[in-house]
Amino acid sequence: MSKFRMNAKASPVIGVAIGALLLSASAVGIGHAADLPEGFAKGELAPAPPAEMIEAGKRVYFTKCVWCHGVDGAGDGPGADRLWPRPRNFNQGTFKIRHTASGELPLFNYNERTPDSGKNDLFDTVTHGLPGSAMPPWEGILTEEQRSQVLSFVTTQLVKDRKFTDKQSETQTILQLGTIKPAEATEDSVKKGAQLIVDKKCIECHGVEGRGDGNAFNLKDDWGFSIQPANWHKCWNFRGSRQDPYNVRNIFRTFSTGVNGTPMPSFADSTSVEDRWNIANFVNSLCERDEEGKPLGIDPLTDKPKINFVVPSMAVEGEISSDPENEMWKKQGRRYVAMGGQITHKPRNFVNRIDDIWVKSLYNEKSVVYLIQWDDRTKSIAEGKLPWAPTQVNVENFGVKEQAPKTGEEGSIAAAQNNYAVYNDAIAFQFPIKWQEIPAPFKPRYLFGDAKFNADILKWEADGSLRSFKGTGWDQDFEERDDFEEKVKLLKSEWKNGQWTVMISRPLKGSKDDYDDYTRFDIGKYIPMVFFAWDGHNGDAGRKMAVSAFYYTILQPPIPQEVYIYPAVIAVGVVFLEGWMLTRRSNKKKGKVL
Amino acid sequence: MKALMSVGALIGVLGLLMLIGMIFGVVPSNTVRLVEGYMPMQVLSELAIFVAGFAGLSYLANSMGMTIPRFWQGVLFWAFIQTYLKFRIYPPIPFSVRAMYGVVSFVAVFMWVSANEEDWKKFRQPILNVLDANTGFHKALRTMYLILLPILIGGFSFMTMKPSVDEPIELRTVHPAPPASTKVHGKTYTLQTSQNPYRVNLEGKYDQAYSNKLIVEQGMGRLMAPNANPWDDKAEGYLKYVREGGEIFFQNCHFCHGDNLNGRGLHAFAFNPIPANFTDPGTIAQLQETFIFWRVAKGGIGLPNEGFPWASVMPPWEQHLTTDEIWKVILFEYWHTGYYPRTWD
Repeated sequence: MSKFRMNAKASPVIGVAIGALLLSASAVGIGHAADLPEGFAKGELAPAPPAEMIEAGKRVYFTKCVWCHGVDGAGDGPGADRLWPRPRNFNQGTFKIRHTASGELPLFNYNERTPDSGKNDLFDTVTHGLPGSAMPPWEGILTEEQRSQVLSFVTTQLVKDRKFTDKQSETQTILQLGTIKPAEATEDSVKKGAQLIVDKKCIECHGVEGRGDGNAFNLKDDWGFSIQPANWHKCWNFRGSRQDPYNVRNIFRTFSTGVNGTPMPSFADSTSVEDRWNIANFVNSLCERDEEGKPLGIDPLTDKPKINFVVPSMAVEGEISSDPENEMWKKQGRRYVAMGGQITHKPRNFVNRIDDIWVKSLYNEKSVVYLIQWDDRTKSIAEGKLPWAPTQVNVENFGVKEQAPKTGEEGSIAAAQNNYAVYNDAIAFQFPIKWQEIPAPFKPRYLFGDAKFNADILKWEADGSLRSFKGTGWDQDFEERDDFEEKVKLLKSEWKNGQWTVMISRPLKGSKDDYDDYTRFDIGKYIPMVFFAWDGHNGDAGRKMAVSAFYYTILQPPIPQEVYIYPAVIAVGVVFLEGWMLTRRSNKKKGKVL
Repeated sequence: MKALMSVGALIGVLGLLMLIGMIFGVVPSNTVRLVEGYMPMQVLSELAIFVAGFAGLSYLANSMGMTIPRFWQGVLFWAFIQTYLKFRIYPPIPFSVRAMYGVVSFVAVFMWVSANEEDWKKFRQPILNVLDANTGFHKALRTMYLILLPILIGGFSFMTMKPSVDEPIELRTVHPAPPASTKVHGKTYTLQTSQNPYRVNLEGKYDQAYSNKLIVEQGMGRLMAPNANPWDDKAEGYLKYVREGGEIFFQNCHFCHGDNLNGRGLHAFAFNPIPANFTDPGTIAQLQETFIFWRVAKGGIGLPNEGFPWASVMPPWEQHLTTDEIWKVILFEYWHTGYYPRTWD
């Protein structure tokens, strides 16, 4: 309990004392707007919701919310122990996404039901959900009235340590986001922001490139659970993104009000509004964009970037560069590959910390090269030798276990997150062997193939090894293939500022011209491909990993000549057709109909 | 009449502006959300509103002396339908399906403009005018068409012939035919005769009528029936089993199938095929409980080939849960969605 902050579970005496202090401070502050942080104004506490709203909200809560947030709203429902972040514990009245000053309760008014009005923080949280956590958007599921009802219940019955209507202890200092004009994201503003995040020490936690790799392993929330700084390159995972991730206002708001219950403070007191916009513009500029610098298309059904399941490989002449900054790589577009936890077989990975990877590919007459980049806050290399052989898939006997469903808070994923044994970070991908003989859409099973259709697997581990395996089933140990390993090449592997860059080259075929043992890459054909990723600090090993769906890789052929000839022929045909029609029409007019 | 038509015209203009705004990203595309389950109704009524709006617009233009020629009315309406289908509907309709709708709406427009001899004459008059090119304007127009048409058609065929790297389309059977029986944890269950052992009344007898009275209510939100709270300390029998099933669901299943059982869980975005949406009337609502039991116990790997067993990440739950736990989860899924399991008779 000592881990709680003052506002969480302080004794009533201290609470009253602080309340009195705040009250006297605000009494003195009347007329002195300078006492408030820039951009904030004093607000009134909202009225208490009527009893029938609370009663109706209870019905909503026990249908939809209780399963994670628990009977008493302590964030300890049946689903809680396998989640990270854990569901919110409402009891202390600590809420992350707000328009109110640091430490204050969020805005909630049962009467205000316009989404994104800036006047009802909790309503917007329920409406849009909290991306990057298990909290889904409830818009379209619960009506506006039902959302208001359930919040009436939560704020009055489940928030136990504070009272939303208590004028003695609560104040509302509200960020005037609606009336503050945003500073344009000019080059100058972004540049200032880039300097400010160094001056304001943002990079201590968020990392030099903002991938959340700074102080990643020492941070805890008010309840003592492990928490990690946001990765600014994945704005769609910002809790406060309100399903509008590239909107700079959301970043400005979070930066101005801080995130209650976490080490993220409010910067309102120490930073002018103008500087806050500069920082917000810079953070926003880091979020991943497409080749033209435009925001990625976000799929409204998942609130993640839209997925294209084809990873094209472009032909190049001669040697393929091992430098990702080389012109030949820069010209080639990258593909977003979504990663989910492996939740099919034990040990299941309920919390995968690698949720996407970026892939590019080039090929020449001899080999095909994959450039894979992904964010990982920690560089993990197992100390000493791992107790299992690299070919071993079933590593449950060595302590790689899945999270038990009911452990209580102390044993939950959120509590254990910092204490896993460290294994190797790793990346792997598989192709079907003999895909030429497998009629589409048949494929070897996504998880290391099956007995009938085997998989050709390449796996790189952070200890520097690159191995070639044959997969024959999800629970079958790999078969290692030394003769092929001599031919696959690790062109680059580097961890820098929270990002891995790994470049792997493999021959287009084995030593013989057949495809019996190794996948043979035929130009212009769709070849199924699956990706796997392990985060060593997440205790990932064996089947405890992140996995993608089936993607297709295709060596793009040069454009054949017919593509230029036939359309020209067709165009000429159309010209003749036009001539025939005109002649016919004019003949008809002259009465010479045939 | 005029007032009515003006209102119609206003609606038409507003609707068009909104659609155009959505296309160019000025108006957020979620301004009017397509709600799952109500989508076909929504689309139909939206189209009806548009048609009414257009009728008003055309009437108004007519009364102001700016009659829109029948030819352009037809062409514009057809173009509108195409735009609407492409930009309004989400998830997007594949091109092949849109092309089908395009042909159907073309036929419809054609029937409309050729309903009687007079209309048909009015419709083809502009075409003939251009062909004959009696005025300077028409001559210029004709020349333009003569040059543009070959270029457009040639360009279009070039675009279609150019090798592209689109995803190959693979169609999967979502509910393949079940086997006659399935063996789980050493016991054989005949699908036609097995029953959920927890769908029982207070006397402990299998009673679907009893459980149907206690499931959540259909309609927005799908909330629990009053006085049927599984979390009530006094909840017994069926409702207690529902809670136990829910606990298992939220420890195992929600990661993919979602907190509202709508297939939008934490990991769902990464997987293809996407997890089943139980709130959709096309999934568990039209299946027997024993079918679900077979699918849950055997998982993706247990599917016949038409169900793409190689791609599904659905676990064979017999590896993780006991038979009792599987039955309870199924009980919970029907309770939470407010659907009755289909029966064999």
